[in-house]
Amino acid sequence: MAALTPYTFIQCPCSDSSTLGRPSDANPAANATNDDDEEADEDNRTFDPRAPRSNFSLYPLEYLLYCEDCHQIRCPRCVSEEIASYYCPSCLFEVPSSNLKSEGNRCTRNCFQCPICIGPLAVTSVETKPDPSLLAAPDNAAAPHSGPYALTCSYCHWTSTEAGLKFDRPNNIHAQLTKLRNGGLTRLTARERRERRKDPAYRAHLAAAAAVAVAAASEDVDDVEERGRGPGIEEKESLDVETQFANLKSFYQAQLANPNSSDTGLTGLGDLGFSSPTSLSRIMSIYTGGSLRDKKAKSRVGAMREALDADEGFQPARLDESAAIAALQAHGFDGTSSTAQLAEQPVNIGEPAFPHGQAHFASDLRPVPHLLRTKRSKRCPVCRHIISKPEAKVQTTRFRIRLVAGSYIPSIAIRPLALSPIPNTSSSFSSTSAPIPTSTSASASGPAIPGALLEPLRPAHFVLTFKNPIFESVKITLGAPAHTPGRFSSKVTVLCPEFQIDANTDVWDEALKEGLATTGGGAASGERDPRERRRRRGGTEDGSQSGINPTTQLEVGKIWERGRNWVSIVVEVVPPSLSTLPSGGGDSGLPLQEDEDVLEIPLFVRVEWEAEMGGDEVGSVMPGVGGSKEKGEGREKRELAYWCVLGLGRIRR
Amino acid sequence: MSSRRAPRGEYIETDTGNKVARKATLVGTQNIMLGGKTVIQPEVMIRGDLIRTAQAPSQAAAGAAPNNTAVSIGRYCFLSRGCCLRPPGRPYKGAFTFMPLRIGDHVFVGASTVVQAATIGSHVHIGSKVVVGEFAIIKDYVRILDGTIVPPHMVIPSFSIVAGQPARLIGEVPEGGIDAFELRDLYKTVGNNPHPAPV
Ligand SMILES: [Zn+2]
Ligand SMILES: [Zn+2]
Ligand SMILES: [Zn+2]
Ligand SMILES: [Zn+2]
Repeated sequence: MAALTPYTFIQCPCSDSSTLGRPSDANPAANATNDDDEEADEDNRTFDPRAPRSNFSLYPLEYLLYCEDCHQIRCPRCVSEEIASYYCPSCLFEVPSSNLKSEGNRCTRNCFQCPICIGPLAVTSVETKPDPSLLAAPDNAAAPHSGPYALTCSYCHWTSTEAGLKFDRPNNIHAQLTKLRNGGLTRLTARERRERRKDPAYRAHLAAAAAVAVAAASEDVDDVEERGRGPGIEEKESLDVETQFANLKSFYQAQLANPNSSDTGLTGLGDLGFSSPTSLSRIMSIYTGGSLRDKKAKSRVGAMREALDADEGFQPARLDESAAIAALQAHGFDGTSSTAQLAEQPVNIGEPAFPHGQAHFASDLRPVPHLLRTKRSKRCPVCRHIISKPEAKVQTTRFRIRLVAGSYIPSIAIRPLALSPIPNTSSSFSSTSAPIPTSTSASASGPAIPGALLEPLRPAHFVLTFKNPIFESVKITLGAPAHTPGRFSSKVTVLCPEFQIDANTDVWDEALKEGLATTGGGAASGERDPRERRRRRGGTEDGSQSGINPTTQLEVGKIWERGRNWVSIVVEVVPPSLSTLPSGGGDSGLPLQEDEDVLEIPLFVRVEWEAEMGGDEVGSVMPGVGGSKEKGEGREKRELAYWCVLGLGRIRR
Repeated sequence: MSSRRAPRGEYIETDTGNKVARKATLVGTQNIMLGGKTVIQPEVMIRGDLIRTAQAPSQAAAGAAPNNTAVSIGRYCFLSRGCCLRPPGRPYKGAFTFMPLRIGDHVFVGASTVVQAATIGSHVHIGSKVVVGEFAIIKDYVRILDGTIVPPHMVIPSFSIVAGQPARLIGEVPEGGIDAFELRDLYKTVGNNPHPAPV
């Protein structure tokens, strides 16, 4: 089992439906009656990180944005996105949005993905051995290669010749591909197809082909290659999806314009009455209350007929699957295309044998033009202010606006705390000499090894380090349920639930300190050296937590460690035993579920600080959670509160 | 790349702040450019000997001194134990030649990873046991997860998170995640007198 690195996920307020709307949205009547209930709820309400709904509201800090106008956290789920630019992820060319309508959402340059493995495809000359190491660097084109060319995958060595696709020119592959059917036959554009149908010579050819096809169909066609190539049934009626749709549409429009058409192609259906415009209008009048009933319609006779030939969009169902069965017998299941491969295939790819992109065999798959990607800016869902806006240019990585939650709310880092198995004296941990194990240098015993399993029923300690990103000092109040929710409940004690973190001082101060530390060598003071870290006695004492604590060396209500803009506190957990299933309850008998052995504790964080008065504040939009403020002289109190989940580790089974 | 200090630490620390492990294998050092403040851990191999043999026509015409840089690495890069940087090669005008491998700033290369890219931008994190195929182009702010195989010639645009064999896009680097590519702090944690990571 993979070791679990401790994590912190933060809940976005959008998951709580009561905070989403404006205050006026709430129903006052319902509020009045349920007020007491709700208030009691509010106090007792605890957050269950394992609830299915929680999956959709918990995010790591770096995924969260922050609206400066609402003073609230925003997550990828609730922000509204606006596309700033479209670009191809392979050639990195920006595609103007006007081109999207005409050319679709795929790159129309030479950017293709392998239909088998999604690796990049490169243009190679078929004549020289299609070795992917000889590929498509730009100056390679200057080399004296000659056509035909093929697309070759540099990862799995698939080449487009496997689908019978060869190209005359090494450039403009996309345009060539749209005119090529698998097996190398040309695919006609709509206009070419229309023109061809008018050609009497072609019609004669079709009739002859149909005769051949009838003869051929009686034989057992087991040559797969023959399927697409022979002038068989496909050749006769085959229309690609766009053409078929266009033909059908124009046919039906013509029919609707001429309701007296008595040329019933399918008389059997006509007799049922559903195909006549009269019965259609009768049905419509039932649903529209009869007022729109057209009296004249009654007098109309005749019925709409159905499409009769390919010009009208008629396509017979291809019921002869003997070729597919033969191919399946020849190639087996491995020869078929997977769902993932089919999903990658663009629809309307223009191959009539599988008009909806449903190639049954891997050998039928076509090169996939790269899907375009986007750069997007993000808006606050409540106040519509932009909270993230990248530069539209594809090649730049700068942002015009980037309000990330990490620069407004404290980060929480978790690390296991090594307490010696046999506690020495209570003084050893309250004295300043105790070295703090940090990162790789920590050669701690037992639970302090990162990722180590937590022993059931044995107290474990974790250091939570809160780092304040803002330029004001903040007051943090923590709340955690004494017992974690769920079938296997851990005991949780936050040893210091209330403390103050100093402001994130100027960057230059930090730089100067760093400079001192590096030039002066190891002896220089500064917070870089663990031994030099100050360990102030707890900032704020909390009397309510003064119960008996098993680990006497850890002082309740005391901060563990403090630095320039950070404070560490200790959380004690007693994991449950996972071997004894709890009794009672409907689901108690179930075996251990996936990740049920992960010790997750819900933690309610309230951050309070005083800030400069902003301009037009809309903080009061978010009742209860948002910035409630009391106006002072130029300063105002701000408050932000949210649930988060601390994943501490796995419990030994 | 001359070692300045006498003490026999695990690392040679250069004037420009590079920390090169004594147990790293740098072949053809005269063709390896280090921007400074780069960490090269033990058992890393950099193939500076695989230089370009066919010169670009513009250079030949100008008569300039041939640029033999095989591998160039920017500032604050971190090459983890056992990784290998190898310039990509291909036939050019009938002869096989290597092309330079260029790496930007703040690029982390995980342990046992092989890199044969043409270019790697800045602020790129490459996990461990990754293979970056020949002539791949990796733009800025890209995260490649452990065990990924990036096929040759693949282009990975900025803010991509890729994984799998072959590599496929699995996510985008979030707005709040771009500061995590910074490697200044990691640089300080290694060397002959390392500092612990800051809180
Ligand atoms: Zn949200
Ligand atoms: Zn493209
Ligand atoms: Zn492939
Ligand atoms: Zn807002």
